[in-house]
Amino acid sequence: MKNKIWLLLIVVLQTSAVFSQSISSSPYSIYGLGTLYDSNFGPLSAIGSSGIAMPSESFINNRNPASLSFIKKNSFLFDIGGKGILSVYEDNSLRETKNNFQFSHIAFAFPLTETSGISLSLQPYSSANYQIVNYELPIQDSDESYFLNAFGTGGLNNFDASYGFKAGKKTSFGVTASFLFGNIEDDRYYGIGNSVTNINKNSDYRGFRFTLANQYAIDSTLTLGATIKIPSQIQATKTETVITENNYGSQTTETNVRSDVDPYYLPLEVGIGFKKSIGKGVNITFDYERAFWNTSNQSSLYGNYSNQDKFGLGFTLQKKGRINSYFDRIQYYAGVNYDTGFLEVDGEKVNNSAVSVGFGLPLDRTRSFINISYSYGQKGKITSDLIKENYHKLGINLSLEGIWFVKRKYD
Amino acid sequence: MKKFFILGVVGLLLASCDTDLETGEFVVGSDYLGVNNKVILVDTLTLEVSTINFDSLVTSSQSRLLVGNYDDPVFGKVKSDTYFELGASDYKLYNNTSDTDLPNYVFDSIALILRYDRYYYGDTTNVQTLSVHRLLNNITPDIDDKNFYNNNSVPYTSESLGTILYKPRPIAQDSINITLNTVFGNELFKKIKNNEFTNYTEFSDYLKGLSLTTDGGNTSNVIGFSTSSVMRLYYSKSQNPDEVSLKKDFSILDLTRQFNNITLDRNGTLIQNLPASNSKLPSSLTNNTAFIQSGTGIACRIDFPYIKKLKNLAGNGVIVDAQLLIRPVRNTYSETYPLKDSLIAYVSDHLNRISGTLNNSAGTPLYAILDKSNDEFNEDTGYNIGIGTFLQKEMMKESAAAASLIFAFPNISKAVDRIVIGDQKNADNKIRLKVYYISY
Repeated sequence: MKNKIWLLLIVVLQTSAVFSQSISSSPYSIYGLGTLYDSNFGPLSAIGSSGIAMPSESFINNRNPASLSFIKKNSFLFDIGGKGILSVYEDNSLRETKNNFQFSHIAFAFPLTETSGISLSLQPYSSANYQIVNYELPIQDSDESYFLNAFGTGGLNNFDASYGFKAGKKTSFGVTASFLFGNIEDDRYYGIGNSVTNINKNSDYRGFRFTLANQYAIDSTLTLGATIKIPSQIQATKTETVITENNYGSQTTETNVRSDVDPYYLPLEVGIGFKKSIGKGVNITFDYERAFWNTSNQSSLYGNYSNQDKFGLGFTLQKKGRINSYFDRIQYYAGVNYDTGFLEVDGEKVNNSAVSVGFGLPLDRTRSFINISYSYGQKGKITSDLIKENYHKLGINLSLEGIWFVKRKYD
Repeated sequence: MKKFFILGVVGLLLASCDTDLETGEFVVGSDYLGVNNKVILVDTLTLEVSTINFDSLVTSSQSRLLVGNYDDPVFGKVKSDTYFELGASDYKLYNNTSDTDLPNYVFDSIALILRYDRYYYGDTTNVQTLSVHRLLNNITPDIDDKNFYNNNSVPYTSESLGTILYKPRPIAQDSINITLNTVFGNELFKKIKNNEFTNYTEFSDYLKGLSLTTDGGNTSNVIGFSTSSVMRLYYSKSQNPDEVSLKKDFSILDLTRQFNNITLDRNGTLIQNLPASNSKLPSSLTNNTAFIQSGTGIACRIDFPYIKKLKNLAGNGVIVDAQLLIRPVRNTYSETYPLKDSLIAYVSDHLNRISGTLNNSAGTPLYAILDKSNDEFNEDTGYNIGIGTFLQKEMMKESAAAASLIFAFPNISKAVDRIVIGDQKNADNKIRLKVYYISY
């Protein structure tokens, strides 16, 4: 056991090094806190992220903390994953391909009692990585223009602590406290007249958010789930440096001046979902979520936001009855996901749709799996001011179950 | 155990994967890019343009003999006389191994050889009269101020030592010769032959200095001669006409004792009523124009009375660049009265007290550079200078003591170039200021 803990520590250190590199680059990530992540544990990314009504039996279901009440006694769940994304950006005239590999999450969970469990997890929340080179913009009320170079790096991380418990045979409740923290550097160069001005903003963000959740088993084949994310704010401070180069030389306006920035509002979000077994080992899962961005008073600093709807539908297949071979134990997944988006760029919403397939390879006689998923998706569309991102996403994660607190009979 | 091994491998794989960090040339939502940092161009800021008059300019130690006169159609009657002292390295005649020839040496002639320094202004196709006069006093500086000014003069004999009527060819030729009075030359020759001078003081006590002036009726041009110009005494070993002529040069050894007296008669011009040197003549009183002339102390001052209002454009903002275009008024310049290629800017207070030149961060003066491109109709001809950082400091200044810019030619102390510029209300040649501002 001691050895295992050491190994675990090494893995955690190793992944936290990866963590700092977790970056996805997208031209859309100049808005707000960057492009938001969907961190999907276990097989969730293969079933269209539809997991509000799923239990945390063989994997940690981060879609609903109430599911933690289903962790088996003495079991210890561990989940770690990563993604490789191949994105193709396209607008009216250009097409470009980018590769991106990133850490997706690290999490563990264990039962507190026979009817309750907790989990801790760390995952990226957003990524702001963009680069704009020599972009010409008009100066208002004049026939002149200026040139912009912008470089963004950084993003926010999300540390979740969740608790779920059974409030009866059929009902579970759960709560998640999310701590969001991170840093985004926005480094811009403005070529105006015969001058170049560097405005460097280094913004720190931190905030809390709570999620309340419920799962209710109608019968042995049908479970319902619901989540409510409480509106909150992410506080922001920035340190800013403004330096101009012109015919005078270098003119420093301010150096590392610290100030508060308008907070970033996280809206009320509600989600509902169901899971239905239709026999022959097939499960159908469906989630619907709505985020009320319209009422969030978001500062125009972060862009224009409007209400968001998300739909997820997934199918899981696992052979029932007699298990003869290893292949009989493989799980198969498929799903679709549609997201209207919340970001409006010049009046157009940036939506996202994806289809996904995957399978889970069992590792040994516990419920441990290597889950491999593939998704193909599309984000945005080609207009004068928008671009389309087509992406192929390969996800891999390990959902491990260890047995704790039991003296082994054979070793 | 196996699981954790796999875990480690996967972790390593993730760590070693490579990511394309750069996104390409894509920009989404260009409107949004201007939200946080607004770029504003202000080209309506009021400029108060006026003409000022420095009462005196230091013209000694400028390394130029500036002499001539001309009637300027705009500025009036311009005249420059020059004053200098002469000396030699020694005050002996030709000195070879034996001095036995000395008693036979005879005087030939004496001349002033003026070497062009290529500066000229006015009409060089007209003849000009130059005359040389002997100074009655030395060019003796005051104890507390060793400089000589454009309005200083030294009395000289009314009778001239020599006169020339000539058409200046300052580029094509190297020098002109003015033959000086033989009586004067012969007397000087004898004194040297008799070893009457042993040093500069004794010599300058005898020949206190010379002045060059234009006292004829011709008015056409002002010419610059080099301070390497010399007075040359010619003599021979005997009166044999085949004898090689020997020479003795007297040159300007002390540049602090050489200066130019530059005057302007403004009677009947737009600027005839220039106020005292601590005041200004607004361009509105001079046909929406302002004036600059080297040598005479006329300069153009520009005030920015509303610069602090730009602070209200945004909560936080900075002037990143400001391009001032100073346009010469059409038909006030020509080939005879050409435009210099640059203007220099001085920073002053409201009483025209100059604190220094407008410099860059390295302390080097900034110039307004003449741009003649696209000047088919001379509409874009003008002097460009960036004054963004100056205006940024003015905008942010806590005190009410606003600074002004005074424009002059870099050769303000040693030439007579001039220019007429338009103010913001000038019909054809408006001065223009574009201020570029960004909020942050």
